[in-house]
Amino acid sequence: MATAFGDDGAVHGAGRSDAVVRWIERHPIGALIIAIAVIFVLWLVFAPWPEGFEDWFGKKRIFINALFNGITLGALYFLVATGFTLIFGLMRNVNLAHGSLYLFGGYMGYEATQWTGSWLFSYVIAFICCAIVGMAMQFFIFRRMEGEDLRQTLVTLGLSIIFSDLMVWVWGGNPIQIDTPDYLAGPVPTPIVVAVRSSGEAVFLHYPTVRLVIFLAAVVIGIAMWIALHRTRIGMMIRAGVDDRDMLSVLGYRVQLLFIIVFAFGAGLAGMAGIVGGTFQSISLGEDSHFLLASLVVVIVGGMGSIPGAALGALIIGLSEQIGVVYFQNYATVLSFLIMVIVLALRPQGLLGRR
Amino acid sequence: MAITQATDAPIGMDEAQRNAAAWLSNYSAILLLGLVLLFLPAIANNFFLDQIVGWALILGMIALSLMFLAGYGGMVSLAQMTVAGIAGYMIAVFGASSLPAISLFWPWWVAVPIAILIAGAFGTLAGALSARTEGIYTIMITLALASAFFYLALQNWPIFNGFNGFTTIPAPHFLGVNWRSPVPFYYLVLFFAVLSYFVVLYVSRAPFGLALQGVRDNPRRMEAIGYNVTAHRIAAYAFAALIAAIGGILLVWQNNQISPFSVGVDVVINLLVIAVVGGLSHPIGPFIGAIIYVILRTFALDALVAVGLDGRRFQTLIGLGFLVIVLFSPDGVIGIWRHWSSRIRARGARSGF
Amino acid sequence: MSTIAERIAAAGTGNAIDLRGVSRYFGALAALIDVTLSVRPGERRAVLGSNGAGKTTLLNCVTGDFPPTSGTVRFFGEDVTTLPPHERIRRGLRRTYQISLLFQRLSVRDNIYLACRGVSRGRFSFLRSRASDAIMQSVSDLLTLVHLDSVADRLVGELAHGQQRQLEIALALAGAPRFILFDEPAAGLSPSERGDLVAILTALPAHIGYIIIEHDMDVALRVVESVTMMHDGRIFKEGAPHEIEADPEVQQLYLGGGHA
Repeated sequence: MATAFGDDGAVHGAGRSDAVVRWIERHPIGALIIAIAVIFVLWLVFAPWPEGFEDWFGKKRIFINALFNGITLGALYFLVATGFTLIFGLMRNVNLAHGSLYLFGGYMGYEATQWTGSWLFSYVIAFICCAIVGMAMQFFIFRRMEGEDLRQTLVTLGLSIIFSDLMVWVWGGNPIQIDTPDYLAGPVPTPIVVAVRSSGEAVFLHYPTVRLVIFLAAVVIGIAMWIALHRTRIGMMIRAGVDDRDMLSVLGYRVQLLFIIVFAFGAGLAGMAGIVGGTFQSISLGEDSHFLLASLVVVIVGGMGSIPGAALGALIIGLSEQIGVVYFQNYATVLSFLIMVIVLALRPQGLLGRR
Repeated sequence: MAITQATDAPIGMDEAQRNAAAWLSNYSAILLLGLVLLFLPAIANNFFLDQIVGWALILGMIALSLMFLAGYGGMVSLAQMTVAGIAGYMIAVFGASSLPAISLFWPWWVAVPIAILIAGAFGTLAGALSARTEGIYTIMITLALASAFFYLALQNWPIFNGFNGFTTIPAPHFLGVNWRSPVPFYYLVLFFAVLSYFVVLYVSRAPFGLALQGVRDNPRRMEAIGYNVTAHRIAAYAFAALIAAIGGILLVWQNNQISPFSVGVDVVINLLVIAVVGGLSHPIGPFIGAIIYVILRTFALDALVAVGLDGRRFQTLIGLGFLVIVLFSPDGVIGIWRHWSSRIRARGARSGF
Repeated sequence: MSTIAERIAAAGTGNAIDLRGVSRYFGALAALIDVTLSVRPGERRAVLGSNGAGKTTLLNCVTGDFPPTSGTVRFFGEDVTTLPPHERIRRGLRRTYQISLLFQRLSVRDNIYLACRGVSRGRFSFLRSRASDAIMQSVSDLLTLVHLDSVADRLVGELAHGQQRQLEIALALAGAPRFILFDEPAAGLSPSERGDLVAILTALPAHIGYIIIEHDMDVALRVVESVTMMHDGRIFKEGAPHEIEADPEVQQLYLGGGHA
């Protein structure tokens, strides 16, 4: 069985890159536009801006900051949305309590840093706490209503109402900030020139270390997940289940084990993301629905049930929110919803989703 | 085959008689309820009339539009509260409010049709965006659209007046009646609630409604017998939006104000809670759900404190109640009622022998 | 926009179904390869072949459930290759399904009503039909035709398997069908129910032609006048039932091997 899945994985991987080549062949103009856009953005980032450019884009420092904030916010959204998209893809369960898990993870991480003083250790605590809650939800409730996707979704809705009220009870309504550890505090210089002094001296961008580290961590987690999904037996079972739900019946009793693992993992990631969110911004009442909505939009844009889709969607939504805040104050959040509507109209299954 | 038919026939007749009897008992219950509602102003005080029954009827109407889509069409749309909210906002924009800088102060008979038209267009658009995807996706897409409107209203000052929204939105005066005074407003709300209830009930057995139920049960087969499934779904959204828009206008007249928090995510979700708790299989469900919600909302705080609990845990109470209903009676209060009445009938039949 | 009557007149003496070089691929897998097939109006044809021979794919290409990868499909002379299924239905093409695709939470009567309404005007009507109108009349005629009067007001989900198959046929007969595709109508039926099915099929009005896909040769060969044999996505023999039965190649490939 393992070898069979292994072969399938190899063929599949080749199919993906083939698909990219074929897409480029079929849409040469589209590919060209995307390539030019990428080059233009790279130029905007690395080259010193010519005279008059700042009239359109404002100060380069502001643009670069928005870009970096967008990408790092995208990393945070990716951490939240991958769990959501995996749970949806495999179990057809729209987990409306996903935002509550994010918030719960944030609060548990805060408590852990208060008690142990270790920021890194708090991730372990948050992951375990949320994974246990996720496991319990799957084991005690959703196992009993398999195949009833609407009922499962309504249960997650009821749970989210209760969870958010209980969390207000315990932690109150005020925002809580998780302190950045000393070794990551403060900005780090980057090789990107944001301005040139009159003396001819270049000014380099300084960017918060913790955000860069978390971005790198999210990339590592994303790649690790991709490898796990393509190279391990359990990952291949998950992928096969997302692609073809009939496959799940072949697994028999083990399908429940698979569901519990995926639910635990997705919930754990959301919990870890809670600490990231608490460090970047703050965690408070209402953040649960904010991150639930972010996950919804990311997954709708990227494609439901697809991990690369979640990464692409998270990047697009993170960027559009941050760029929106800088350039279209009145409509910042609406911009990402507008992207969602356009994607829905042109490609209802999402950018990287399958029919 | 012939033998089966012969044995089947008497059972069929028996069932028809039983159905007729059940229908008659339902009918008398509805007649009684109708009489109570009609003469309620004679026995109830203004607070009960306006803040309990009136509010429940309006919320019931908006939830009815959700029930129509979810129960008959299998499309759980969370955008219905938003449709209602847009109608309310448009009444404030085109009609009167305390903000002369934005409101156009057109007469109500111009503002109302425009509000219904714009809200209906939004509802139809939401339908067009979600009708091409199946089943559970609808919840995700419509929830995202609903929150998109919430953020738009929150961040946009030129049209929606941002965070503050609109206040002092008057109900119309015509035929010499101030329609916002408690008793006339009650009858106005009662008229539209009863009308929408019976229209939905009627349409459910008309070709359009039957076809919608066909789409719910088996969209692929509907294509195969000559229906354009997507067009049918979108038409259903348009029809549901009409009901939600009327409900939204009544709601803004009742509250006298509208703000982004009238269409926030929690409000949108509460509407689904109302419809599910009442039951999605019959148009009476949303009204049952609404009256339960309004009574809880009004009295639960005091009740919680009275039994020594923290009154602020109201949301936990709502969530637990909702969870119990979803776990144990998927068809809501209607399901519980049907279960009991069939048991009582079965017991009656047994004692009759 | 021409009316159905005009289209029937325009179709004239052409074939009811005309497939020209139809192929259908699923990824790298070829389900149908260069199939060319003509069926006259009123003709009754069986399509036989082992599992995976491409019979159901052929049906799906004719109805538009899956469009063919290449080739053209004509229905009474009109090119319908790119029309969606519901447009083909309105031109008088019908099909039944192998697996039950009925409306489980509606009554038998409502199921047939939807099928009749689907091919008439007023699909979006908000007004209920009166008991006396033409559609209600044809609903009760169809109920009688497929022997389902006694269970007309039951929910379909409560019916026995045989009755669901009969309802399936009633849905295909709704409106004014000119050509019907039956996808294994005898699957899962008892011997007596098979007898009923043969009676219903042979009693169809003479102008209605059909293609029947069937595993049960006894049923298939009793209700058709011509047979098409398929193997591995291609047509390899056409002829009258007795010729096909006698053909040594067919016996070897199908009757001998696959039919067991």
